[in-house]
Amino acid sequence: MRRDGFGRLVLAEWTKLRTVPRWMTVLAGLVGVTALFALIDTSDQGGDVSEGESLQDADFTDDFHFVHQPLTGDGNIVARVVSQENSHEWAKAGLIVKERLEPGAPYAAVLVTPEHGVRMQWDFGEDVAGSENGEAPRWLRLTRSGDVVTGYESADGTDWQEVGEVDLEDLPSTVEVGLFVASPLAVEIERQYGNNSLSEIPTPGEAMFDNVRVALDRGSPAPGDGEWNDYDTSVEPDLGGSTESDGVFTVRGSGDIAENVRPFDDDLVERSLTGAGVGMLAVVALGALFITAEFKRGMIRTTFAACPGRGRVLAAKAIVLGGAAFSAGLAAAVASFLVSMRTLRTAERAPGTPELSLANPTVLRALVGTAVLFALVAVFSLAVATIVRHTAVAIPLVILPLLIPSIESGGLPLSVANWLVRLTPAAGLAVQQTITRYDTAIAPLVGLGVMAAYAAVALGVATLLLRRRDA
Amino acid sequence: MTPLPAGRLRRAVQAEWTKLRTVPSLPWLLAAAVGLTVLGSAGSLASVDTSQCPTPSECFEDTTKLSLSGVWLGQAAVVVLGVLAMGSEYGTGTIGPTLAATPSRRLVLLAKAVAVTAVALVAGVVGVLGSLAAGRAILPGNGFTSANGYEPLSLADGPTLRAAGGTVLYLVLVGLLSLGVATAVRGTAGAITGVLALLYAFPIVAQLVSDPRWQHRLERYGPMEAGLSVQHTMRLDELSIAPWPGLGVLATYAGFALVSGLTLFLLRDA
Amino acid sequence: MDATIEVRGVRKRYGRTTAVDDLSFTVRAGQVTGFVGPNGAGKSTTLRVILGLDAPDEGTALVGGRPYRTLRTPLLHVGALLDANAVHPGRRARDHLLWMAQSNGLPSGRIDEVLELVGLTSAARRRAGGLSLGMLQRLGIAGAVLGDAPMLLFDEPVNGLDPDGIRWIRGFLRSMAAEGRAVLVSSHLMSELEDTADHLVVIGRGRLIADTSVRDLVASASKDQIQVRTPGRSEAMTLLANAGATVTAGDRETLTVSGLPAERVVALLGERGLPVLEVTQHRASLEEAYMELTRDALEYEAVALEES
Repeated sequence: MRRDGFGRLVLAEWTKLRTVPRWMTVLAGLVGVTALFALIDTSDQGGDVSEGESLQDADFTDDFHFVHQPLTGDGNIVARVVSQENSHEWAKAGLIVKERLEPGAPYAAVLVTPEHGVRMQWDFGEDVAGSENGEAPRWLRLTRSGDVVTGYESADGTDWQEVGEVDLEDLPSTVEVGLFVASPLAVEIERQYGNNSLSEIPTPGEAMFDNVRVALDRGSPAPGDGEWNDYDTSVEPDLGGSTESDGVFTVRGSGDIAENVRPFDDDLVERSLTGAGVGMLAVVALGALFITAEFKRGMIRTTFAACPGRGRVLAAKAIVLGGAAFSAGLAAAVASFLVSMRTLRTAERAPGTPELSLANPTVLRALVGTAVLFALVAVFSLAVATIVRHTAVAIPLVILPLLIPSIESGGLPLSVANWLVRLTPAAGLAVQQTITRYDTAIAPLVGLGVMAAYAAVALGVATLLLRRRDA
Repeated sequence: MTPLPAGRLRRAVQAEWTKLRTVPSLPWLLAAAVGLTVLGSAGSLASVDTSQCPTPSECFEDTTKLSLSGVWLGQAAVVVLGVLAMGSEYGTGTIGPTLAATPSRRLVLLAKAVAVTAVALVAGVVGVLGSLAAGRAILPGNGFTSANGYEPLSLADGPTLRAAGGTVLYLVLVGLLSLGVATAVRGTAGAITGVLALLYAFPIVAQLVSDPRWQHRLERYGPMEAGLSVQHTMRLDELSIAPWPGLGVLATYAGFALVSGLTLFLLRDA
Repeated sequence: MDATIEVRGVRKRYGRTTAVDDLSFTVRAGQVTGFVGPNGAGKSTTLRVILGLDAPDEGTALVGGRPYRTLRTPLLHVGALLDANAVHPGRRARDHLLWMAQSNGLPSGRIDEVLELVGLTSAARRRAGGLSLGMLQRLGIAGAVLGDAPMLLFDEPVNGLDPDGIRWIRGFLRSMAAEGRAVLVSSHLMSELEDTADHLVVIGRGRLIADTSVRDLVASASKDQIQVRTPGRSEAMTLLANAGATVTAGDRETLTVSGLPAERVVALLGERGLPVLEVTQHRASLEEAYMELTRDALEYEAVALEES
């Protein structure tokens, strides 16, 4: 076949698709059906945004224990973190410069973690990695020079490597510096009565410091009296505290200095797209039928007589089907989203969650991603049907791995359920996620990639078999 | 030439049974129904152990239900079976010869229902027994021992027997539901997709509804959730719907599908 | 039961197309009735109505005085082959006949009898998907005769058969009729019914065009036509045409003349001194008769290719 013959082949396959009224009705109908589902979602105003979270929550948490003293002018603080309890993989122990003793005040900190090495953090979300194996015991240093705070680490206290440099802007002359310990909340899953119950529980962070020294640069005003004070905003008061003996500080704290992550929030965008996920099933059926209809009455022989290049035929079918599914999926996703918008806008959302509109890139990614998912599912179905040749077998083979991991059935533990999602085509549904939750198994685009891999492999096997077998 | 003396229903059932068993896919479908059920059960059983609970004796795990959970996977094969019993007649055109041989459409559908029930029964019994055996084998290893208050699974135990029998009935009803939908829809692809969506997507859609009252209602009346309620052996008063009424809900779905299917079957051209 | 198939005033519409319009005819025992018409004339629809597969919008179809759907063991009364492809490709040939036999309480020995009758004994255990068109056709015929029914319906039974098979089926149909059965054979090819059918029901565009014996049909089509053999052909053509006859040239020296009685033709030619070598009454072939009859009723007419 000449090269431009492929274009004609695609046109032929498109004609095959669009001239079966039933199939076109299904494609059009699924858009309506998914919009209907979205309507169900919004049919009541009892939309509950998050479970039991206070809506006055700011978009940061500033919970930790601070052993501090004031610093006026330029200077630095050095300490060695002798040991750190592994209360959480992201437990933090280190040095911090804080503008003032108030939640939300600007800060910069250099710290060690049990499993993520040395980090420098600031602004409730900014994070820079130091050395990967940096865990206690480790030397840390923070220097303040005007508005600029620089963090250093060292293995021995003599050779220092810079971790990061932060410009805190309009830092007052006197700031608080000192040691701090924090340990984020952990999501605990407990099984009882056959159900998994989830809760966020505080973790007890603890660390020991020694060789703590605060020094001033030459020419700076006189220091304070060098006395250490405690400032505690730990999530539970008896999890925060400090003791000192012979220059060794044992500090305990619980909480996190970071952006506020609420793992139990509803992902409103994902919910509005649930209907589209169901509409996708119709696309599965279509994908299978598009090829098995030809096998049935030997029509495939006519097709192959017209174009002996079987791989090309399958490719053309995939392109046409994928395109149609993409369009239907995009229409369905946008329709669902717009229908849900009314409630989404009026629902109480905690501040800090992204604005839900079509202009939001995250939302856009979820919508377009859904359309791409439709196309991938359709092509996957086409490929599977080409391999097994029977609609009755192909359809369940595609639908089950798509749907099953989405349902908590048999009360599977979360870790198992998450692995099911990561390894099956259900991963593709992750593209609809817009927030990170406790049950987020896989990143959105990675999930879509898993689905794409399934489709690609299936298509490859299908092409191989199509060429080998008799028509 | 006189026919052998036999009741009309018996003849029709015999013919339908021959049709069902002389098709190459039947042994595969049976194997899939049993295999997926046992595999699903084994999977669930293997992934749950007492260390996930506050203390081993505070798990309060419904080991019977856990052990029978695989049917939620195996039912897909029964759906295919039920759909093919009628759907393949339309696909291959044998609906013509079938109705020429047995013009009473009521009789044809009834005979098909009997045949599907028989196969689903066999699949169900073998699948359930296999699942329970898996439970006996796996549970003690995961901490569910008599020391912790979990007796080994046994059919001599009333609730377990009810759960097991109810699960077999569940599969039969799923098969009949599929037959009904395929008769109404006159095709295989649409029927399989529709029934699978009804069973598996119902709970997903139910989660969409934010009003807790409606969500509760949907949980009670979803065919799969209600039907599987029969597998519970503990805390029965806290279920959204009681075991036997739950099966009744599924039976209603199946009945509705069969009645609609029959009506359309009677009224339409072949 | 009296072995007669009666169609009375049947009308059937599919959507906006009227497939069969006020059709009435009777199929009697002891003869082969050919059911003919161009493609799309409504033959298959009529057969489906007779068998109770499709319900007519108006009218009735009765087999042995009763509607098909009221029969309890229909295969013992009516045997039918509508579509040889209506078999499950994964099922063995024998099993296809087995379920049919079981549905009507027929003994399984009968299956082997009919398989032998149609010559499929060796292929009995093969899956239907692997059978050729001709073999499928024979399987369908086996199914039709399974119940030894006094009424038989065949839709295009000759499809896919080789010359041997065609010869066999013709003899088979005739012997069935000779045994006193009512045999209805539908076809769109008149030639295959030529020596088989006794009676013809011709339909076109869903309407009855003719319901007559083969002999009468051929005779009426042949009525005016005379064949004349004469050496002075072109002269004869002009002469006869001027006298008002319609003349067409046959092969060699033959002319087919219609519109003038034979005596007149001979007289005219004799006057001119043109020798008449042969005069015969033209016997239209069934095909010609049929063509003429259905010319106006052609649903789908192929365009004649331009002859260069």
